[in-house]
Amino acid sequence: MISILSSTPVSPVSPITNVLPLSMVLFVSLVKEAWEDWKRFQNDKTINNTSVDVLQDQKWETVSWKNLQVGDIVKVKQDGFFPADLLFLASTNADGVCYVETANLDGETNLKIRKALEKTWDYLTPEKAFEFKGEVQCEQPNNSLYTFTGNLIIEKQTLPLSPNQLLLRGCSLRNTEYIIGAVVFTGHETKVMMNSMNVPSKRSTLERKLDRLILTLFVVLFCMCLIGAIGSGVFLDRKYFFLGLRGPALSADMNPSNRFVVALLNMFTLITLYSPIIPISLYVSVEMIKFIQSTQYINNDLHMYHVETNTPALARTSNLNEELGQVEYIFSDKTGTLTRNLMEFFKCSIGGELYGTGVTEIEMGEAQRNGIKVDEVHKSSNTVREKGFNFDDARLMRGAWRNEPNPDMCKEFFRCLAICHTVLPEGEETPEKIRYQAASPDEAALVAAAKNFGFFFYRRTPTLIYVRESHVEKMGKVQDVPYEILNVLEFNSTRKRQSVVCRYPDGRLVLYCKGADTVIYERLAEGNNDLKKTSREHLEQYGAAGLRTLCLAYRDLCSDTYENWNEKFIQAKSSLRDREKKLDEVAELIEKDLVLIGCTAIEDKLQEGVPTCIETLARAGIKIWVLTGDKMETAINIAYACKLINNDMKQFIISSETDDIREVESRGDQVEIARYMRDAVKNQLKKCHDDAQNYLRSLSPPKLALVIDGKCLMYALDPSLRVMLLNLSLNCTSVVCCRVSPLQKAQVTSLVKKGARKITLSIGDGANDVSMIQAAHVGVGISGLEGMQAVMASDFAIAQFRFLTDLLLVHGRWSYLRICKVVTYFFYKNLTFTLTQFWYTFQTGFSGQRFYDDWFQSLYNVIFTALPVIMVGLFDKDVSASLSKKYPELYKEGIRNTFFKWRVVATLAFFALYQSLIVYNFVIASSTNSVDSSGKMFGLWDVSTMAFNCIVVTVNLRLLMMCDTITRWHHISVGGSILAWFMFILVYSGVYTPRGIYSVFYVLISTVYFYTTLLVVPIVALFGDFLFQGVQRWFFPYDYQIVQEMHRHEPDSSSAGLLEIGNQLTPDEARSFAVAQLPREKSKHTGFAFDSPGYESFFASQAGVLAPQKPWDVARRASMRSRAKTPRKN
Amino acid sequence: MMNSNAPSSSSGAAASTDSSAPRRNSKRPKYSRFTQQELPACKPILTPRWVISAFMLVSIVFIPIGVASLFASRDVVEIVNRYETDCIPQPSRSDKVKYIQSSEDKTCNRTLRVPKHMKQPIYVYYQLDNFYQNHRRYVKSRSDEQLKNSNSESDTSSCKPEGTIANGSSIVPCGLIAWSLFNDTYSFSRNNQQLTVNKKGISWKSDREHKFGKDVYPKNFQNGAIRGGANLTTSIALSEQEDLIVWMRTAALPTFRKLYGKIEVDLQENEIIEVTLQNNYNTYSFNGKKKLVLSTTTWLGGKNDFLGIAYLTVGGLCFFLAMAFTIVYLVKPRRLGDPSYLSWNRNPGGH
Repeated sequence: MISILSSTPVSPVSPITNVLPLSMVLFVSLVKEAWEDWKRFQNDKTINNTSVDVLQDQKWETVSWKNLQVGDIVKVKQDGFFPADLLFLASTNADGVCYVETANLDGETNLKIRKALEKTWDYLTPEKAFEFKGEVQCEQPNNSLYTFTGNLIIEKQTLPLSPNQLLLRGCSLRNTEYIIGAVVFTGHETKVMMNSMNVPSKRSTLERKLDRLILTLFVVLFCMCLIGAIGSGVFLDRKYFFLGLRGPALSADMNPSNRFVVALLNMFTLITLYSPIIPISLYVSVEMIKFIQSTQYINNDLHMYHVETNTPALARTSNLNEELGQVEYIFSDKTGTLTRNLMEFFKCSIGGELYGTGVTEIEMGEAQRNGIKVDEVHKSSNTVREKGFNFDDARLMRGAWRNEPNPDMCKEFFRCLAICHTVLPEGEETPEKIRYQAASPDEAALVAAAKNFGFFFYRRTPTLIYVRESHVEKMGKVQDVPYEILNVLEFNSTRKRQSVVCRYPDGRLVLYCKGADTVIYERLAEGNNDLKKTSREHLEQYGAAGLRTLCLAYRDLCSDTYENWNEKFIQAKSSLRDREKKLDEVAELIEKDLVLIGCTAIEDKLQEGVPTCIETLARAGIKIWVLTGDKMETAINIAYACKLINNDMKQFIISSETDDIREVESRGDQVEIARYMRDAVKNQLKKCHDDAQNYLRSLSPPKLALVIDGKCLMYALDPSLRVMLLNLSLNCTSVVCCRVSPLQKAQVTSLVKKGARKITLSIGDGANDVSMIQAAHVGVGISGLEGMQAVMASDFAIAQFRFLTDLLLVHGRWSYLRICKVVTYFFYKNLTFTLTQFWYTFQTGFSGQRFYDDWFQSLYNVIFTALPVIMVGLFDKDVSASLSKKYPELYKEGIRNTFFKWRVVATLAFFALYQSLIVYNFVIASSTNSVDSSGKMFGLWDVSTMAFNCIVVTVNLRLLMMCDTITRWHHISVGGSILAWFMFILVYSGVYTPRGIYSVFYVLISTVYFYTTLLVVPIVALFGDFLFQGVQRWFFPYDYQIVQEMHRHEPDSSSAGLLEIGNQLTPDEARSFAVAQLPREKSKHTGFAFDSPGYESFFASQAGVLAPQKPWDVARRASMRSRAKTPRKN
Repeated sequence: MMNSNAPSSSSGAAASTDSSAPRRNSKRPKYSRFTQQELPACKPILTPRWVISAFMLVSIVFIPIGVASLFASRDVVEIVNRYETDCIPQPSRSDKVKYIQSSEDKTCNRTLRVPKHMKQPIYVYYQLDNFYQNHRRYVKSRSDEQLKNSNSESDTSSCKPEGTIANGSSIVPCGLIAWSLFNDTYSFSRNNQQLTVNKKGISWKSDREHKFGKDVYPKNFQNGAIRGGANLTTSIALSEQEDLIVWMRTAALPTFRKLYGKIEVDLQENEIIEVTLQNNYNTYSFNGKKKLVLSTTTWLGGKNDFLGIAYLTVGGLCFFLAMAFTIVYLVKPRRLGDPSYLSWNRNPGGH
């Protein structure tokens, strides 16, 4: 707009002045946009060109994804991704099932089972498939991942379709050679794509604040113009005959008989004159800086390069660098982000004896805090290491348990592990090749453990479990033992335990039970209190170490008791009403008088360095919320494991798993449930909120933690309760939300983002985190694994959670500091410059006469002051990277936005005012008389060139003053800028132009005045800043300044260790036994966990549809068809 | 164990392809000091010692310069005579504008007393006040092309309203600036002896040689209805018209001095200088003052205490601050890098 104005006659400056910087700005941003678009295009192209087999003329033709059409029949091979939403027709597996991994969608890695309609099972070969003629009627494309309704019409038969026949794009095929499917939705109509909203373009908070600053500048500009305009209206008078204000042809802007019009037109003149106050080039400079920061620094940081997955960090947008320096809330997914979703059998306690030498991350952290050096004891090379088993204790391995104090107990322990489960073995029946399909990875880990202890479970028939037992009778003897499974008392969240009644080949009847310590301890037989006590201690110890514990127990049954009970059991099983409840009751009858064997500790393997990272982040003042789809126990357990919650914290738990709620739910009246739930949630919230207030008011307020589950959250997010929820959760240092849907994750995120106006960061790895990632100010995806959805939606992708430390504390903090400096500096330099112009207006009868030459004005921003500030944006750092991490508290300055407060801006504005006054008045006052011995006087252009000269020097030196580090690039750029000005003016005033400026500079430099003024003006102008900085540092130092001082004599040596960092594989296993035995404060928490993936059905039921067939039902059905409750037939 | 944390390594195929790849195809960023942000740098810390020494240094440099420039300024002898009211005959003072626009003889005699010995050259200036030579309308009302080049005579577009005369032929030099050329004249005599005023070399050489053409002659100048100021001899090229050249170097401020000429003899103390001036120029319509100034110069130019005072003040202030800081530093020092100053150590509550 100003450019347009400047080309009109009211302008005091030539159009080039404004057009040149503007076009440069536009050009640079265009180039940047084009580059980013091109990258996106490349990315799309790779995906679009992935190939898939499509049926054409009875043959499989390879076609790229983009050419797929609805109705195509495609073949997807094992481990392949589905290119579109497919209707599942046939699979190589028997029963027309296939296994699907949905990690991309919901982050769950356990396999889901999909089952084709029986009618279509045969269309497996191309010839057969070619005959397939059918019509699919289905719902419109929508974004619900867990619902699908439609009909398949084959041969005039209408078959109903359910989600069970739908293979969603983004999932991958597992354990199935290949499947045949018909394309239902493609491209943007696929459910995944419907789910991924348009990535909202994110702007950083700082940038938004910058907009407000710019707006303020506009207001200032307007005020300045108004003053000038009124002045001009008043000033203009015919008495100034030399202005030639007479004659009929007088233009409106100079006609004293209409002062209002004069003022109005002059207003526009002044707007163009003062337009440099608006830093146009600021945006492009900032963008450029951020672009380099993200592409050169973040993407190339060796600290954030993950060797195992060969993944460097990736900044997918360059807009949010400085936002990383201000994050106050982190919302983290659990699976795949905090944990590796890898359950490993880690330790156990048998008969009161501790086994297992591993050390968890937590213990490592604790030990390091206590100053104990953790010896990296390398394990013997023959350690068994496989998925789900990370246990090392020679006392138990290879039959050595026979020499332990309680060999019988050990035997029971192992048998319990090998028998009491619902795991399906798969593949060859050798210990090396077998794979266990389990409903939860915990179970698989336990069975794998049993295998490694020499109790190899290898086959399951509907009634029998085959275990290959070694070393039982005597060392080295291997025998296959079939155990008859009589009853399976299933796990559910109420029972928190699972039991199996089995009969030994020798007729012994045993009930094996495993479950949460609380429920097992309730049901133990009297006596043997020592064992109970030691085991309890062990449980607590495990819990404190962040391990998931289970108690194992058994009970010998006599056949009479069993037969009696079995009748009741069968009765209960066959009852039609309340079957579950009755089964539970019956189970209670037999699950008593148990004998405690011991307990297991499973490590829900955290990603490397997570507890340390979380602790560092917590010290940095960042609050971390875990939002997970997992069960409450699991979530709490992980929270303990990650040090998010400890026993010193006051916990508030808002759960829907209470008896009252369950009772109401059992009545099944949806309306009533909703009403009841709402009240219950409200009451709980209120109570917690009041409690929290009380705690906070107390003298030493404890840290608070809130745990809430998805169902309650649904009600708590209701607008009426939202405020209370927000208040409560903001008072808590950590919040755990479990069983939350992707949507709720996003809701919680935006609750904090919008409600509390804090800067939020979401980190996740799966498609279920996409909405959350997009909702937060900053979205971070975990890259390096298969799932790419989260990464595609994210703003930054890192390979490991722990890299957040680097991303936030180092890159984020620096970016924030740098951008703050850049922005405030821009603000300052333009204000100073424009103000001198403003002061001059008062001396020119408010006519809007420019003080500086056009070219000075236009090149001021583009050349004379542009480069140094970019150097600051790239190179400035207050403290080194290692110190940033060593003193995470420094990050709080970013959270508090210390460096871009209005107060900072006001201070700077004040100094800009001061400097402009100094520069202007000193130059003017010192040139009122002749300035050299020739007695000649200076004209307007001489004075203005002098003033400009002083401004360029002052402003550039001011930049050096605010640098914390000065590299040679600073010297080059600052020196270069000043030199560029001298070169420019030498050439410019040396070449004849029809302007006043000709040869002015040569005149200037021939006078002593030039040098004396040039010495005094910048020094006086910077005097104020210098004094301010000195006093501020001396008496009110910032934290970073103290840290600088503390380490002022240390060389910047962080580079020394850097080259090695990338190469070493972190020793995550070699840890000393001693650390585990360290005395530590007693913890009340024992980490019970028995993961049951009720996730999928949970959503389905929330969405009001019947749960699809549960995979573990199917898995079980294969072996226990007679026992397990009959799965719904599709 | 590569890829151990991939949750679904249940199928070994994916894992094994991964693990073989990175050796050849590593995405590991290359190390460079730039990308790792480890460029060598000095880290200036504004410690109290630095602050004090900086202040000290400034005061040490500034005070001598200040003293020197103040002395230089004090060496200058300057005679200022304001005459715009006194040079109007008593009866006409009620309507000065009418008087100045009338055609009567406006000769006016002033006497100046030399306060101190004035060494030649003595510069004669006129000083106008409230004259906005820097008004936007005024500043742009000239044609540099026309002034320089005789071929660009018709380039008067920027000169309105003094671009052309009624018949459309161009005015040379055109524009308001030239039109309003100052036309008071001064002649000096001492003891009834004429003092020559040298009017050569009063303009900047660059103006004379490059901005005003040797072959450009005044034309149609001051032919309009209203006369703005002095007339020019049409036979003398613009580059020789030094009064015009001086005038056309527009002043930065509404109060300005312009060089009128040089008196190239010494003036003795207490000598009386008779000035005969033609009070022609109209500053009365805008209440502008007119002053006649005689001044000597030094290496720092004319009389101007400002720089000297500025240097001295700043130097003094810095000295004072240096002292003050030193005292504070000695009395109540802040230990550098004292961790107890860290905000999180100050309030352990972490608020």
